[in-house]
Amino acid sequence: MTTLSHAPASARPVPNPKKSLITRLNMGTGIIVGAIFCWGTYYAMRAGRDMTDTHNVNKVLLVSMLMWSFGFLVGIGALIGPFRWLIGKDLTAEEQLYLAGDGQGIKRYFKYCTDHKVVGIQYLVGVMTMLGVGGTMAMMIRTNLATPGSHLVTPIVYNSLVGLHGITMIIAMIIVATGPFGNYIMPIMIGARDMAFPRLNALSWWVLFTAIPVLCSAWFLGGIPTGWTAYAPLSDQAGPGMNAFLATIIIFALSTAVAGMNITTTVIAMRAKGMKWNRVPIFVVGGTISVALAIPAFPTFMLAMIQTGMDRTIATGFYDANVGGSGWLYANLFWIMGHPEVYVILIPGVAALMEIAPVFVRKPLFSYNAAIAGFAGIAGLSVLVWAHHMYMSGWMPSLNGPFMITTEFISVPTGLLFLVIVGTLWRGKPWMKLPMLSVYAFLWNFLIGGVTGVYLSDVPADNYLHGSMFVTAHFHYTLMGAAFTGAMAGLVYWFPKMTGRMLNERAGYIAFWLIQIGFNVLFLGMFMAGAQGQPRRVADYAFAYEHSNMISTAGAYSVGIGMITLLWAIVHSWRNGKIAPMNPWGAKTLEWTVPYPVPLENFDVEPVITSDPYGYGKAAH
Amino acid sequence: MANHSEEELAPTPGQRVAKFLERKDVRQTFILGAFFTAVFVVLGIWVYPHWMPNVLSKEMQADEDIMIWFTVISAPIAGVILAIAMESFLNMHRGDTPPEDGVAIRTHTPVVIIWTSVSVLFVILALVWGMVSMNTDADKAAVNAPNALVVDVTGSQWAWSFTYPAQNITTHTLNLPVDRPVTFNVVSEDVNHSFWPVQLGVKVDANRLSTTVIHTTPVKLGEIDVKCAELCGLYHAYMETSGQVESTSDFNNWVSSIQAQGGTQ
Amino acid sequence: MSHDTEFHIHHDSAEKVGRRERLGVRLLIVADGAFVFGMMFSWFYLRNLNENNAWLPKGVHTFTTASGYIAAVGLVVAAIFHRIGERNHGMRRVSSIVVFLALVIGAVYQWHQMAHMPFIAHDDNGRPFYNGAYASNWVLVAGANMFHYLLGAFVALGLVIRGYRTKLDPVLEEWRQRIAGSWFTWIAVSGILCAIATSFK
Repeated sequence: MTTLSHAPASARPVPNPKKSLITRLNMGTGIIVGAIFCWGTYYAMRAGRDMTDTHNVNKVLLVSMLMWSFGFLVGIGALIGPFRWLIGKDLTAEEQLYLAGDGQGIKRYFKYCTDHKVVGIQYLVGVMTMLGVGGTMAMMIRTNLATPGSHLVTPIVYNSLVGLHGITMIIAMIIVATGPFGNYIMPIMIGARDMAFPRLNALSWWVLFTAIPVLCSAWFLGGIPTGWTAYAPLSDQAGPGMNAFLATIIIFALSTAVAGMNITTTVIAMRAKGMKWNRVPIFVVGGTISVALAIPAFPTFMLAMIQTGMDRTIATGFYDANVGGSGWLYANLFWIMGHPEVYVILIPGVAALMEIAPVFVRKPLFSYNAAIAGFAGIAGLSVLVWAHHMYMSGWMPSLNGPFMITTEFISVPTGLLFLVIVGTLWRGKPWMKLPMLSVYAFLWNFLIGGVTGVYLSDVPADNYLHGSMFVTAHFHYTLMGAAFTGAMAGLVYWFPKMTGRMLNERAGYIAFWLIQIGFNVLFLGMFMAGAQGQPRRVADYAFAYEHSNMISTAGAYSVGIGMITLLWAIVHSWRNGKIAPMNPWGAKTLEWTVPYPVPLENFDVEPVITSDPYGYGKAAH
Repeated sequence: MANHSEEELAPTPGQRVAKFLERKDVRQTFILGAFFTAVFVVLGIWVYPHWMPNVLSKEMQADEDIMIWFTVISAPIAGVILAIAMESFLNMHRGDTPPEDGVAIRTHTPVVIIWTSVSVLFVILALVWGMVSMNTDADKAAVNAPNALVVDVTGSQWAWSFTYPAQNITTHTLNLPVDRPVTFNVVSEDVNHSFWPVQLGVKVDANRLSTTVIHTTPVKLGEIDVKCAELCGLYHAYMETSGQVESTSDFNNWVSSIQAQGGTQ
Repeated sequence: MSHDTEFHIHHDSAEKVGRRERLGVRLLIVADGAFVFGMMFSWFYLRNLNENNAWLPKGVHTFTTASGYIAAVGLVVAAIFHRIGERNHGMRRVSSIVVFLALVIGAVYQWHQMAHMPFIAHDDNGRPFYNGAYASNWVLVAGANMFHYLLGAFVALGLVIRGYRTKLDPVLEEWRQRIAGSWFTWIAVSGILCAIATSFK
């Protein structure tokens, strides 16, 4: 039995399992082996193939990209665990301790490290990188659209910007809350010592990591002509860059399935003694519902990408009408994933705000059961609404009515989310800190997003609005205005526990106002453009839309400056910020009972729970 | 809580409501609520007609009406949410330590029930409105089909072309006679496009080898913009053209002039 | 896991660990199930749409109704023999070898089917393409079966080898047998579903 819980990390000998390969492997060896597998495959496959045939080009590129990912995993040691299982010689205690990063300092962030706190930081840095790249693309999009006739970039570059901005942000937003906070904070919140499957946790991060260069490679291969929805048959017709998109999604779907399974199992099976379901913090419930929804949803996206890949490489005809295929098949498979996926994005952000509001208003969360009903109702209904994205596609007009019914009904559980938050605010005296401000921003943004969603869900109105900038504005209000705002609030709220520092308040406030005001100017301008009749995903537009676009672009620049300010605040505070006390917000959840740096196994003594974490308040009179 | 003597009765619901309404935060919230509701009503009534283009058909009018009236109906809901948020915001406590704890309200069943019921009612109202509107369109289309003007719309990367089979002409501009129902048969030669004659308030995707059909009746003279509403590759942004809703005689003249040119324009 | 491992999750009893490993695998089966559902959707949707009358391959015949079931035989045999070994400790070593062999032979047969499918036509430029949406869907379904065979064979081989090791925790290994049973059962069910779908031509 190890004594690691009792001795401080600096006094324990660094585990050094002799002759074990795992001590020599890291991100560097992963990159080297990944590159070898990738180039090796590339050159081996090219030999003897007619590379003027686009099918062969696609085959070679797609397989090489997937081999990069596989090779990286080999090189970083991800396959050692399964291999040792296969031969019946499981990892020893010392090896497992080594893998948990015990005593390795900063190096463990660049290794296959199973400590959920390390994985949480890795996800945080990864997410911030993706948001930065996606955000830069957004700035280029809005700069190009500042005035009509503007030609900052050519149409092919513009279309690629739109598609790649979309997919980068979607991937980043799927993991923005459950990645950093679901990994770092959540196990501590439920009183666990780690996740259910620590090695798979490291795997889900590093698999995602391999997708990032694959996605970026699209730029070097001619970009993509489709939006992030990669509709067929345009995707079948697309150039080599499309292969990067397909490979990215296939890789990402694997990462998400594993991560979703890990979080769900952890929450179901590893809660501390006494933490019955009605005492689980709402962020944990929301996060779990979100990832549990992702498990059955994302495989159909993977399938659609595999089918597109097959069409592009071995000339199958899933989406080729000439040989019996149909673009409608793609649209169905895509949106069966696509709609649950937006709730996978939304729910954790809202759940984070629900975790934050009671702390800063010093009142219990209003109607915990309504919150659960809201999240569960949304998740359940979300699998029944997908074809509202296809009202105008002509695939089956008789089904438009039924899908309108299910789509409109999602407003009911969504309304419960509003009730819980305003109920928590009611008769409270809010402590005005940055996380609390985000709650107000959320209420305004999600209200606009929600009401505009009601128009879109209505088939006759969608006749006008589908495919216009109105849609783009609507989903940015929900995904960015609500979900991203919630995630940023979570970052500011949990920053002290993840970095040991307080985020610079002044910079935070400046960033907040620049972002939120800029955001509203940007997308209200976009609602105007859409209502005026501007289609979406257009590199240029008619003169009639020039005012609305100019307004949008001005808002975008405010957002951009705000984001840079936020980034500066994060980096600066991480290094030089005020040292944070153990519980700066006076909150009642378990993560605030552990010191920073959080010990390797989180708790010296496993906590026993006797109540929910919302025990604020004096009795009503 | 103060002890009640046996002679004192518990407050009636009416008394409870009266006491509730006397509270300062409740009164302020009501005023804010009225304000925000009014803002949304005004927005709904003014913004959409102002922003949206010319209404040239009943379908377009229906689309605009839905946006106006759904906003107006949502206004009280927006009012409540924003009022409570604003009331809370105005009550803020600044400082380095949290304020003292607030009232420990864990839930309030009547509020939850009322809130859920109002949401359900709103949804049903929106649904009924939408279904009626859809079926009215569909009925009109069915009735009008026999004597409708048929236009075969073909989208290809990156242009629209219109064939009028009865008139035997093919053009790139969409001219239509006023007050006559029109049936669009839409198809694509390559990837997905979306046929969107903006001022007519209808839209349908153009798919390869599968023809999709939409109907409308232009009821006012004016210009039509035809755009593509589905990203279709390189020049998607430029895949647009225009047309006119014109009088029947002007339309016939236009048709004849094209026929004289050999049937294509 | 070896007796000397008592770290992280192994602060918990083998019972608890086994239970949550089973939950994790079941969740992954849900994900796999969603993929299979997507394939079924694809099959029946394109078949009913019959776009351009091109669902069936032109000029060649489809696979027989029985062929899908034959391709699933290996999966079914593996699931059955694994269940026998699970219940019967004495038989375990033998049955685990049978399971492994059934999956390997099944994989080979599935490969044989795919290598001999008659659906590839050639266009005017001599470039190959899949003749009909039936053909595209068939090769996808067969490929998925193949994937199940290969992953199953990996698990089966692991169980064979681990059956000969003496230093493993018996309680945890018992759980592993049960968890593997979930997987073998699922891939057999999936194989049958695919066989049923492909029998609709």
